[in-house]
Amino acid sequence: MAREIQSGEYELGTHRTLLQEFWRNFRRNKLSLVGGVIVLFYAFLAVFAPLLAPYDPIEQFDAPRGMRNPMPPLSRDEDGRLFLLGTDKFGRDILSRAIYGTRTLLQVAVGSISIAMLIGVTMGAVAGYRAGTWVDELLMRAVDIMLSFPSLVLAIALVGAFGIGKIQVGPFTVSNIVKIMLVIAVTYSPRFARVMRAVVLQEMAKDYVAAARISGASGARILLTEILPNTIPPIIVQASLMMATTVLTTSSLSFLGLGLQPPRPSLGLMLNEARDYLFWGAWWYAVVPGGLITLAILGFNLLGDGLRDALDPRQARRRR
Amino acid sequence: MRAYLLKRFLFGLLTLLVASFLIFSILRVVPGGPVDALIEEGWDDPELRAQLRHKLGLDLPFHLQYAHWLGGLFRGDLGVSLVLYQGESVGRVILERFGVTAQLALLSLAIALLIAFPAGIASALWKDRFLDHVFRLVALSGVSTPNFFLGIALIVMIGVGLRREWGAGGYVPFGEDPWGWFLRLLLPAIVLGTDHAASISRMLRTSMLDALGREFVLTAKAMGLPRRWVVIDALRNAMIPVVTVIGNSAGALLDGAVITEVIFRLPGLGSFLVQGVYARDLPVVQGVVVVAVGIRVAVNLLVDLLYGFIDPRIRYGSGR
Repeated sequence: MAREIQSGEYELGTHRTLLQEFWRNFRRNKLSLVGGVIVLFYAFLAVFAPLLAPYDPIEQFDAPRGMRNPMPPLSRDEDGRLFLLGTDKFGRDILSRAIYGTRTLLQVAVGSISIAMLIGVTMGAVAGYRAGTWVDELLMRAVDIMLSFPSLVLAIALVGAFGIGKIQVGPFTVSNIVKIMLVIAVTYSPRFARVMRAVVLQEMAKDYVAAARISGASGARILLTEILPNTIPPIIVQASLMMATTVLTTSSLSFLGLGLQPPRPSLGLMLNEARDYLFWGAWWYAVVPGGLITLAILGFNLLGDGLRDALDPRQARRRR
Repeated sequence: MRAYLLKRFLFGLLTLLVASFLIFSILRVVPGGPVDALIEEGWDDPELRAQLRHKLGLDLPFHLQYAHWLGGLFRGDLGVSLVLYQGESVGRVILERFGVTAQLALLSLAIALLIAFPAGIASALWKDRFLDHVFRLVALSGVSTPNFFLGIALIVMIGVGLRREWGAGGYVPFGEDPWGWFLRLLLPAIVLGTDHAASISRMLRTSMLDALGREFVLTAKAMGLPRRWVVIDALRNAMIPVVTVIGNSAGALLDGAVITEVIFRLPGLGSFLVQGVYARDLPVVQGVVVVAVGIRVAVNLLVDLLYGFIDPRIRYGSGR
């Protein structure tokens, strides 16, 4: 569509690297900057959790005489300890639990997305490079079937198969947190496979691949050193958007009591515990973990949208 | 067209078959399983274990177990609940509970469409105006707020603040008490409906903007057609991606139902699945998952049919 050329946009003699170009596009959308700041805030919380949390997240404090747990925000116990966001039903500091819960949530999300990416990208790359062969057909039908399960239902069923809590596989003990990562990774890897296959197909049609082939490079070499670097941007966009979904799924599992197990601080589980105290008016108990989950999902969604638009400005102009 | 649909139908059946095999085998990976859940603490002895395994058919070789279950599946028999409703037919309980989930799904879909269509169309027509920004902000928060947090927030605000029976949860059949039925389903349907409304209205806005920018709209405007007609024309052309999103929401309805049914204590399929996982009741988990995949396959088929209905230019297969 026709649009006004902005001053300086097509100036002769200016040269920008791809990264500069990307940053210019990204910065233009204020919402994606907001998303970026939110994600940085969560990264900060997760990394520095031990320094930021005022108390041990599983230490229980007694309410002063005349009060009982859960205590509202800004309460103090008999020794004068301040609970900025109140306490939970066992007298544990909600602020500390929320900070550690955020850390665990991000650990699970980053871990499962990394595994999902590894599986999905490999499947998609092979299918795309061998497009039209039986390998491609087999992989993509497998992806179709995986995607025919509603994702949360699949995750729940997988937890059901392996059992709640840590599991024993032959001689190995798999900790609960690793098990959850694996369950979520299996659930979401097909989506990466689809994106990756499409991108590889797109790249294969380009001249540089033909050039590499003519100069005698092997298939594996073309795939790994020529095509793969060009697939990174769309995969990063997908990963950022999938982070939002994974945060939601992880906390949903915990909320249902099928994910992280007590006493490990987990935002979903805190929200579940808070349900019993709603009719007492203990709003802080639910609002703190719920708000943290919501803000995280919002942040990753905004960042993902912003990255997508910045990496593909032509599409974005149509969208806006 | 007919050949294409037949092909899709057969592929759907195949998907269901493979999915049922996957879920059946995954649930049998772990030793112990339902036998562990049935034996009470302190009563564990190998003989009792062997007896139970025999009774449940778990001592048969794997392929016989699967053949047995699959044969039942074709007759609509999903086996017998082992733990939750001991001895009760899973198929019967699922059918009963499916009714509740279906009512919830239909009500929430109605709410979703009632919100999404006016909002999406208004957003596209008054792009970048105040109303558009408000709708987009609300939709973005809707996408980011987890169902369980919204549900809890509604219980606090409406159930505690306004009308206690609205947030009480539970289920009353329509025939017994229509008003009570409505009150109890309203909040969960709002939770599910707004979630879907957010994604539907976002897609509607994007594809409506796309349609409004095309030549036929310009032509229609130039011909001096009433604005109403132009909008209807554009809307019709914008429907395909919107129907896809609606189909995705409807196909994954059990994902949302799991959470809302647990929060609002509705006896539907979603809460059945979660209970089945807690109790390690394998036939229940298998049954609900197969039904979930079946719903998704059926909805996808329906969406395919709708495409041809909305846009007669779409002809499948060899264009006859």
